[in-house]
Formats: sequence, C-alpha cells, structure tokens
Amino acid sequence: MSEVVDRWVEALQGKLAPIGTMTHWQRLEAAFHGRPSDLVPVAPELDYWQIVYAGYTHPEIYNDVDKTTDACLKTWADLRTDAIWMYVDISHQIEGFVPKEERAEKFILRGDKDYLLFKPLAHTLDEAIALFEDRVWEKYGGDSRAVTHYTPHMLQLLEFQEKMGRQVPVIVGAATPTNQAETVVEVQEFVKWMITEPEAKVRHFLELCLQERLEALDFYRDFGYANGLRFFCCFGGARTWGPKQLAQFADVDARFVEKAASIFPNVLWHICGHNLPEAMQWVGAQEGIHAVQYDMPYYTQTLSWREWCESIARLYAGKKCACNAPTTQLACYGTPAEVEVAAQEFIEATLPHTTAVVMPGCEIDAYAPAENVRAMIAAARRYSGGA
Amino acid sequence: MPAPELLERLAGAIVRLSKSEAAAAAEAALAAGLSPYTIIADGLSRGMQTVGEAFRRNEVFIPEVLVACDAYYAGLNVVKPLIDQNDQRRFFAKMVIGTIHGDIHTVGKDVAVPVFQAAGFQVIDLGTAVPDQQFVAAIREHQPELVGLGTYMTATFMHTRATVDAITEAGLRDQVKIICGGPSVDAETARRMGADDASDNAWDAVEKMRALVAALRQEKAARA
Repeated sequence: MSEVVDRWVEALQGKLAPIGTMTHWQRLEAAFHGRPSDLVPVAPELDYWQIVYAGYTHPEIYNDVDKTTDACLKTWADLRTDAIWMYVDISHQIEGFVPKEERAEKFILRGDKDYLLFKPLAHTLDEAIALFEDRVWEKYGGDSRAVTHYTPHMLQLLEFQEKMGRQVPVIVGAATPTNQAETVVEVQEFVKWMITEPEAKVRHFLELCLQERLEALDFYRDFGYANGLRFFCCFGGARTWGPKQLAQFADVDARFVEKAASIFPNVLWHICGHNLPEAMQWVGAQEGIHAVQYDMPYYTQTLSWREWCESIARLYAGKKCACNAPTTQLACYGTPAEVEVAAQEFIEATLPHTTAVVMPGCEIDAYAPAENVRAMIAAARRYSGGA
Repeated sequence: MPAPELLERLAGAIVRLSKSEAAAAAEAALAAGLSPYTIIADGLSRGMQTVGEAFRRNEVFIPEVLVACDAYYAGLNVVKPLIDQNDQRRFFAKMVIGTIHGDIHTVGKDVAVPVFQAAGFQVIDLGTAVPDQQFVAAIREHQPELVGLGTYMTATFMHTRATVDAITEAGLRDQVKIICGGPSVDAETARRMGADDASDNAWDAVEKMRALVAALRQEKAARA
C-alpha cells in the first residue's frame, strides 16, 4: 500500500477520457504480438526525462522512492503514453557490486538534469571474473539502491497498474548478460578483451554473468511477475560487437531471453546505438523476443531514415514488432515538426510489413523539450495499427 | 632491415592488432635511424588508415578498431618522447582533444586520436572528464588550431555550450575551431551551442577538421 499510488489512483480512476477503442495495455500487447490495434502505440522510454518533466531534480529523487513514482505517474497522467517506464539509473545495476563505503567514489553526478555516471568496477578480466566468482552482490547488495530504491519503485508502479485495472502496462527492464559484462568493466575494455584475451576465459566470464542474470530473472519472477509485471525489456549489450563476436558469444543473451520469455508474455529487446545488420538479424532469430526497440543504421550503411525503417520492418515481417522513432538525438535537438516527420516515416515504412510502436531506440534525454515528446505522441495517434 | 620493410612491419602490426609487434617494430625503426615523424606518418598511421578502409568496407568492426588503436598507441609511446620541434612542424595542424567534464567514456576518443594522428594532426590528448578551464589552459599552452570536445552521451553533449563559453570568455575563441565528436553528437546542435561542427565518425571527422583548419587560416589571414 502506497500513499503516492493511492493519490494518483484516486485522481485518475474513472476520470480518464478514453483514447481510441482499446486500452493502452490492449494496444501495446496487440502490437507486440502482431495483431491489429486501434492506434499505433506510443511508448517512449521516458526514464530520467519524466523526473525532470515532473519538476524534480536528480538529487531530490535519488533516494526518495515516492517522488520517483510520483514523477512517473504525473508524466503518464499528462501524456497518456501506452506504457509507463519505471525510472532506472546505473546505480541500480551496479551498486550491489560495490562496498557501501566505496560507492561515493564510483558515481559522478554532474548536475540536476544529468544522468548518473559511473566508473568501472574492474580493470582487468581477472578482476571482473573475481567479482562474479565471489558473488559480491550477496555481500554488498542488501543495502544497495537495487533494494532500497529500485524494487520499491517498481512495486509502486505495479501497484498503480493493478489498481487501475491494467489500463496501462508498466515496462520493467533488466540488463542481459552481455550488457552486465560490459557495464562492470566499461564497454571498450570488454570489447577489446574479446579479441585479446583467450576465448575460454572470456566465455567463463560471460557464463558467470549469465548465471547472475538468470538469478536476477528469479527476482523479476518473484517480485515483478507475481505483482502483475507482464511487459519485460531486455536491455541488450553487444551493441558495438562485430559479427565474429556475436557468433562467438551472443548465445548467453539467447539463454537469458529464453528464460525471460518463459516468465513474461511480452518481451521487448532494446538495442540502441548504430545497429549492426548482423545484430538485427540475430535479434530477429530469437523466438522469445516479441518486439525490438532498435535505433540507427550502422556507420557504414547509407540509408535514408525511411529506408532504414523499412529494411528492419521487412526483416521482422511476421516475426517481431518494430519499435523506434524518432532517434533520441532528434527528440532532443530537433523541432516538433522534425520529430513528427521522423515518427510518421517510421510508421509508414513499418506498417506494410509488421506492427509498429513509436518508441525511440534509447531513453529520452533529460534535455529533450516536452513539445518534442508530445509531437511523437501526436504522430502515433494519427495512425491505426496494422498487423 | 631497410626502411620500407621497417615501415611495412609497423603498419602490419597495426593491421594484425598486435601491441607487442607494434612496440618492437617502433624500437627497431628508431634503432635503424628512422625519425619519429616517419615512423608515425609512414608506418603506424598507414596501418590505421588501412584499418579505417577495412572498417568502411565492413571487413573489420568496432572491436578490431579499438584493438588496432591500442597497437597504434603501443608503437606511438615508443617514439613519442623523441618527437622534436622539427617533427612537430611537419604535422598538418595541432589539436587539443578531451571528453568534457562529467563524461568519463573513452571509447570514441580512443578511436579518434589515432585516426586524427594518422591523418597528420598533432593531437594533445587531455583525457576524459576534462574541466572547462583545463581546455582553456591547454589552448594557451599548446596554441592549437583545433579543439575536439568528445562526448559519449547525449546528456553530456548538451554541456558543450559551457565549454565553448569558457573558451570564449578566455578570449581564445577566434584562435581555434571547435569540433564535437562522439556517437550522439549532431552538427547543427553543435553549431547552436557555439562549436563549429560535429561528427560521429572519426574518419569523416578528418575531412571536416581539414576544412575547419583551412577556414581558420583564412580568417586569421584576413584579420592580419
């Protein structure tokens, strides 16, 4: 029972004007499973943006679960997107790996509107392996923000979802094994080790990461699914890998997805950055993934935005729901008109082949103007969802 | 070993992604009397150019490029202390580079620096999370024509304006051109924040940097 949730439920229950003929939940679920929907769903990953939109600063919400949840619910009440993304920051993912007295040194907070940045937890592959072999999260995780902030925030949002009769789904995500591997040591180091270190040693590290992540899925089953969580996002790593590394090591993510799909009926894969074609094909081949939140074409691809979106829609035809548009860069730097055009082009290029969700490939930046977020929502509301 | 073979060995070490081979080849080239400039320009840099061409043809990818950069640095570190004033004058232009305050990521800059050096730029690398005033001090000390502001994240890119403002307030803005780099930069926004250009790709950035230096030299000549 949460006071902040009850306050929002009381304010919104039975008072929301319908949008289209489906609920937000029905709309998103239909798109994820390739079924027609009344409107193209729109579910931008608002993440830290919603904190700023709601008038809070990072220091204000950092240790205040109620304010964090309040920000998410206020933003949803205003914008009526087709999903509520819980707030998450990097401390949730890695604080449990760090002794309490060392945490302050590991994180950098530059200002009120900035993300939390972090320093690597290990500098060699041996150090990284030791973190996982020693299962340090069992030692340090008990008072980490994963426990004190992330979990209560997730439970509050799920409480809201349930009390509102599942009108709108909450999306909760977790790092995949490759994401976890890259995060604890910094991406560039891990990516190099895949070439410079013995394959068996890299494999051992990834298997340790997989084991830790599979156990994390037990948490999401026991605390998420049990409390109504049905939409689960796999935050994939491997975003800068080449085809060789994907062939060598990406199977750990496939095994993670397999378990996630055995728990959750709606699984989303997040792959941001410049998407390698082979990575997009790899995602397309994973049966447990229903929808793919993708981003920009690879550096060497010379495609227009529309061509890029169409190529992915063709690749996923009959297999996956495509989620994108506008790019997070355009959402931040562009005009509302440019944002609308990018979302429209994505929708029009995608719908002839598969279902579409307007969901930029990465989280909306805290500096993105509210008009731009409203513009992407407006664009989606002009189209009925295909199948 | 004759000079062409030594240089071929240097370039090959980069292409083969071998740090130890690059360092050893640089030692051998120095011992044979090749100048640091020749070792960099005709050996190590040629290797990086080859890697860049392979990247553009999708024959190698980001992981290989990053390891190639490490190999490049392994060779460069051997000859760096021996670069003298004569060598420095042979570079096309001097550049100060760093990721701006609050951004600790090195992945973009680690690729950019050797690519820029390979293209004939003398690069003074200030590292990551560089405070604005450190950029100002470095401009005063090194008198570069270019300043590279690296940002990995959209959020930190939005702080570019503060760094540009610090350079402007120090009275140094007309002495340099400023280019932003990183996976989330945008040229139009960079210009709106007071920089001159931006690129999310080190090899494409080289062309923009050459154009910026040419423009700066014209502006300086017009002011003289």
